[in-house]
Amino acid sequence: MLAVDGLEVAYGDLQVVWGVSFEVPENSIVAILGPNGAGKTTTLLALMGLLPVKAGSASFKNHSLIGVPTHQMVDLGLVMIPEERAAFSSLTVEENLELGAYTPRARPRQRETMAEVLETFPRLAERQSQKAGTLSGGERQMLAIGKALMARPDLLILDEPSLGLAPIVVEQTFNIITEIRDRGVSVLMVEQHLEMALEVADHAYILEMGSMVTDGTSSQLAADPRVQEAYLSL
Amino acid sequence: MTQLILQSVVSGLLVGGMYGLVALGLALAFGVLKVLNVAHGELLMLGGYASFFAFTFWGIDPFLSMPLVFIAMFAFGVILYLTLFRYVTRTEIHNRIKNSLLISFGLVLVLQSMAVRFFTADERTISTAYSSDALTIGLVRVPVVRLAGLAVAVMAALFLEWLLSSTRFGRALRATSEDWTRAALTGVDVRRIYLVAFAISAALAAVAGSLISLGYSVSPNIGLGWTLKALIVVVLAGLGSMRGIIVAGLFLGLMESLAAVWLGGQYREVAALILFLVVLSFRPQGFFGRAYA
Repeated sequence: MLAVDGLEVAYGDLQVVWGVSFEVPENSIVAILGPNGAGKTTTLLALMGLLPVKAGSASFKNHSLIGVPTHQMVDLGLVMIPEERAAFSSLTVEENLELGAYTPRARPRQRETMAEVLETFPRLAERQSQKAGTLSGGERQMLAIGKALMARPDLLILDEPSLGLAPIVVEQTFNIITEIRDRGVSVLMVEQHLEMALEVADHAYILEMGSMVTDGTSSQLAADPRVQEAYLSL
Repeated sequence: MTQLILQSVVSGLLVGGMYGLVALGLALAFGVLKVLNVAHGELLMLGGYASFFAFTFWGIDPFLSMPLVFIAMFAFGVILYLTLFRYVTRTEIHNRIKNSLLISFGLVLVLQSMAVRFFTADERTISTAYSSDALTIGLVRVPVVRLAGLAVAVMAALFLEWLLSSTRFGRALRATSEDWTRAALTGVDVRRIYLVAFAISAALAAVAGSLISLGYSVSPNIGLGWTLKALIVVVLAGLGSMRGIIVAGLFLGLMESLAAVWLGGQYREVAALILFLVVLSFRPQGFFGRAYA
């Protein structure tokens, strides 16, 4: 579904992503794991057209993504939830969800999708007229995911979904991610939280210093002594 | 004395409505594009001349030419965005203000010189048959054209509020002003939002200009004065509430007018600037604004 090949990204003269390649097959959860500063978020932002790509290619459902404006990617079904506060705090919960269905792709089915999202997240239904800025961390996370689902994604990208959340909310979030995959939406997530991510991911890549160091299925990586040594030993 | 004070309260509120109307457009461009267009007053000046010439040459009533001026300056706003301000919005948010200041100061000089060259430096006022009509309420005279100006200002604010709160475009615009990156990731074509917001801003300036050429006067160099007033109003009100901007405009007009009566005409501007400093020091987010992170 998504194929990225040899992606290189630089901030001016400072190159931070060096020839990164990965794939997201249909109906799967793929995780890109790695420490802070490895270039995970940079990779995603470049993929979404928010940072200039120096070299490499990326294609989504056989459309090249290089040079495509961000809002058109969303209309293709490629939706990213950025790190923290993905919802607009000055808009109400309802307005945020409606805005989620902004693209021509999602607009005609807005009502139907809204009902589905509110069913998945009953808390959001209770808080519809509240400003998103007044929600708790967990509620804001639900809103971020709900808003992204309003766009009717084929591939949902999450940047550090566990960041800054209580452990129980992190667990809920990962459950929801699995549920989303089971409904036929592929998921690409970037995480520092390895153990949790490996539990839900089908396939994972490890990114360090801007390069992919290894990849495999979650069970392979969890069993890999190098991975265990570097990340899983507490 | 009572009559003098009442009269200056009314005049202050009427001119304050204009301050508010001019500030609406400035606040829209600043809030959404994060650019400070100091040539906003020059766009107002052009709108004023457009209505003046439409009346002088073709006898078109300024209230009829106003919608045409709105459309023409909307188009001019599109051109200005595409040729100048588009490049400013490509820079980082924190660089936009200084870059837009440089560009729009240049625009001020160009538009002012062109106005002197083509329209001469004479002060112009539209005098229609109803220009000197006034309502007399008790001791106070209310010129109808200025009253109409206040009404247009209030309607413009209510229209903008409706647009922002009740339309899909308005929600996208608010999202863009909060965080353009996240708006783009939501599927909003941020450049189109910028284009339309800037064009509306220019068109609102021009409508204010039409009203000013009717109730007051226009000349090539009026722009910066109005821009300064609008800036003070935006600081007083803060961003986020269109109604709040009109209220702040009325308040500024009132304070100036009272300062002129009590302290003398030369203190009019001083009162405005003191108000500006006091608000900046003690309530930098403005009366109605949200504190921006």
